[in-house]
Amino acid sequence: MSAYSCAQLREVAPELALGVLGGAERAEALIHVNECARCQALVNEFTEVADALPMLVPEHEPPAGFEQRVLSAGRAERRRRTKRWVAAIAAAAAAAAIVSITVVRVVDAGNETAVVTTASEPVQATMMTPSGNPAGWAYVTNGRSVAIAVDYGIEAGDYAVAVHPPGGDAVTIGTMTIADYRGSWTGRSDVPLPAGSTISLVDAKGTPACHGTVERA
Amino acid sequence: MWSVSDDALVAGLAAGDRDAASAFVRRFQRRVYGLARMIVGDDRVAEDIAQEAFLRAWRHADAYDPRRGSVVGWLLTITRNLSIDSVRVRRPTAFDPAVIVGLDRESDERGPDDLASLGDDTQRLRAALARLPEEQRRAIVLAGLLGYTAREIGEIEDIPLGTAKTRIRTALQRLRLALVSEERAE
Repeated sequence: MSAYSCAQLREVAPELALGVLGGAERAEALIHVNECARCQALVNEFTEVADALPMLVPEHEPPAGFEQRVLSAGRAERRRRTKRWVAAIAAAAAAAAIVSITVVRVVDAGNETAVVTTASEPVQATMMTPSGNPAGWAYVTNGRSVAIAVDYGIEAGDYAVAVHPPGGDAVTIGTMTIADYRGSWTGRSDVPLPAGSTISLVDAKGTPACHGTVERA
Repeated sequence: MWSVSDDALVAGLAAGDRDAASAFVRRFQRRVYGLARMIVGDDRVAEDIAQEAFLRAWRHADAYDPRRGSVVGWLLTITRNLSIDSVRVRRPTAFDPAVIVGLDRESDERGPDDLASLGDDTQRLRAALARLPEEQRRAIVLAGLLGYTAREIGEIEDIPLGTAKTRIRTALQRLRLALVSEERAE
C-alpha cells in the first residue's frame, strides 16, 4: 500500500513524468500510480508532453560515415550473439556425439575391443548468401555432426540441408525451417565432412540460399 | 523504403532486415545526433552516444510496443537518458533554453518538409514553449531535456527548492493545457 495520497502524487507528478524524481520518492509515487487510475491518467498526460520535448531540439547532421559505423557495429553485435547461440547448439551436438560414442564403446567393451574416443572441437563454416553477405554459421563436430544457425537475409521457408565433401557427391541430410529470418538445425551426415566440404541451404527451386565451407580444425 | 512507416521499420529491425536497419538509421540519425550533441556539448561524445542509442534500439526492437508511444519518442528517450548519464556531474555554464530547443532560429537545419513531419503536436508544443515566461522555460528545459532534478535546478538558478518545483509543475501544466486546448479548438 502506498504512503502517498493523491494530493502528494499531484505535487510530484510533473517530476515523475520528466524522469527527474529521486529514488525513494519515485518508488513511492510509482506504487501510488499503479494503484490509482486517476493519478495514472494525470502522469500519462504529463508524460506525453515530456516525451515530446526532445523532438524540439534542432536536428544536426552527424559526421560522415556515421550510418555505416552504426550498421557495422549492429551487425557485429548480432553476429556475436548468433555465434554464442550456434556455439551452444554445437556444444549440445558435440555432447550428443560423445553419448553415442560412449554407447558404442560399451558394446565394444563386451567384445574386448574398447577404443577410447572423445568428441573433437567443432569446426566452423561461415554461411554466406550468394551476394556475399554473412547469413549465419555451421559447425561440424567429429566430421559428421552438423549444427547450423542463420539469423540474417534468408527468407522464411523450408530449405534442404545439403553437404558436399571434396571429390564426393552432394547429399541432402535434412530440412531446416526459417521463420523471421532465423532458424537452426542439428543432425548427422552419413558421409564424412573434412575441411573443404560445403554445407548449403537449398530452396524448393534448387537454388542455394546460403553456403559455407568447412574450415581446417 | 522511405515510405515505410516507423513501426514497420522497427519490425524489420527486429527481424534482422538489412534494408530496414539502414533506413531506420538514415531516418532518425539527425534527430538522435542533434539531441545528444545538444545535451553533451561535444561532437565526439555525441557521436558515441548516438551510436549506442541506435544499437540499444536495435537490440530491443522486438520489445518495442507502439501503444506506449511513437518510435521517434522511444528512440529520443533512449538518447536523452544516455546523454544525461554521460554528463551527470556537469553543470551548464552558458545555458540558454531558447538555443537548446531552437527557438532562436528562424529555421533550423530542418527543411520545411522535415518541420512538417514533426507533426502538429510538436509544432504546438514549440509555440507553447516560446510563450512561457523565461524562468519556467529554463526550468522545464533543465528538467525535461537535461535531466536536472528540482533540487539541482534550485542550486543552478539560486532559488528555493519549492520555487524550482513550482516552476517545473507550472510549465508542464501550461504546455499540456496549450496542447489540449488547441486540439479541442480544431
